[in-house]
Amino acid sequence: MEIKDTAVAGTLESSDIQIMISKATDGIQIELKSDVEKQFGDQIRHVITATLNALGVQAAKVKAVDKGALDCVIKARTIAAAQRASETTATPAWEVL
Amino acid sequence: MDEQIVDLYLKDPPVRQEWERFLTSIGIHNFADKEVDQIDYTIGIYSGDDLVATGSVAGSVLKYIGVCNKGVTTGARFNAIVSELVNRQFANHVFHLMVFTKLKYSESFQHIGFSELARSNEAALLETGSPDVADFLSDIPRVADQANKKVAGIVMNANPFTLGHRFLVEQAARANDLVYVFVVNTDASLFTTDERTELVKANTQDLANVIVVNGGDYMVSYATFPAYFLASTDETVNYQTTLDARIFRNVIAPALSIKTRYVGSEPLSRTTGIYNQVLARELPPAVELKVIERNRVNSDDATIITATKVRQLIKTGELKQLPRLVPAATTQFIQDHLKTLQARIQKGMNIDGN
Repeated sequence: MEIKDTAVAGTLESSDIQIMISKATDGIQIELKSDVEKQFGDQIRHVITATLNALGVQAAKVKAVDKGALDCVIKARTIAAAQRASETTATPAWEVL
Repeated sequence: MDEQIVDLYLKDPPVRQEWERFLTSIGIHNFADKEVDQIDYTIGIYSGDDLVATGSVAGSVLKYIGVCNKGVTTGARFNAIVSELVNRQFANHVFHLMVFTKLKYSESFQHIGFSELARSNEAALLETGSPDVADFLSDIPRVADQANKKVAGIVMNANPFTLGHRFLVEQAARANDLVYVFVVNTDASLFTTDERTELVKANTQDLANVIVVNGGDYMVSYATFPAYFLASTDETVNYQTTLDARIFRNVIAPALSIKTRYVGSEPLSRTTGIYNQVLARELPPAVELKVIERNRVNSDDATIITATKVRQLIKTGELKQLPRLVPAATTQFIQDHLKTLQARIQKGMNIDGN
């Protein structure tokens, strides 16, 4: 999956995470803001990276603003943002779920 | 949360009244038409019949954010409002947003992903999304071994580029290894951003060590310094330019190794005059400020060269005087586009400001 545009999914409300994905030349770079960064930062980054890998995204710049989202939410928001950014929302990637 | 976010149509007088009353009650007082007219849309949250939260967007700038936290978890309504505004802007493909706020709210914005660009004792300027200031800076061309070179910066609107601008750039180019000319990005002038940029490039292309770049949202933009475009009080100009100057000093200059900023002396424009004073107060010692005396046409003609004068000549069509005020490329452009420019003035483009 190739990131073609900037796209966002999620909100800034409690228990959610807002994920913005934009184009990058190589690798997945994640900029994370979270009040629980110390405790869960690595886990959040891991879920985002694993989800993007499962979607076949090789290169992306990710900005994530976490408000205490659970892993399933992080995953869902990442998939939605990636599909919007790659303009593939017409063909949902069910198997990644 | 069972509180719905709704659109507020400020054109509707009762809505506008309620909105002003609510914002006044939490300490926001500036409802001048020139500010409110900039707003693209406004949203709000009602609790029963009372407005309890609101926020607006003007271009890429969030404005008039106000929230009452009575009876709910602190931050919940604030997050809901900002979240909704951010998402709507993203849906409109505006992925970079800025907010100008009282210092005490800076932290609230930082909690929801905004980064602070600059702060003063009263106010802060923050941004979120992409491309951010790091992307902006990494896209600017650089030269080899730049950190050890003498680098200078000039910010200009150049509406249009005059012999005065030329003189300023020449002085800087002579005294430095590299000069960045940042052209004001906001499209609120008689000459469009593209036209202004092209004329700066055309009139400086013989100077090998000058790089012309767009100033983005970070230098005298509608976000950092709205008073440049909207007539404002001295106090407003002062606090906005303080933030503008600090972004330049703390973020822009270090990234590009800029040691000196050049400005033209400003005997005529009040706003730019205050801006120069603030730069003199804020920039040193990190960045030296060099004020170049404004050029006069020649020794027996005391006419001061200003772009304002040039715009008046365009309005009246007296192009014969142009070559005394502007370089050849600008004269050529004005001759070729006189009708278009005059039509813009007729349509109401203000030519007496900046």
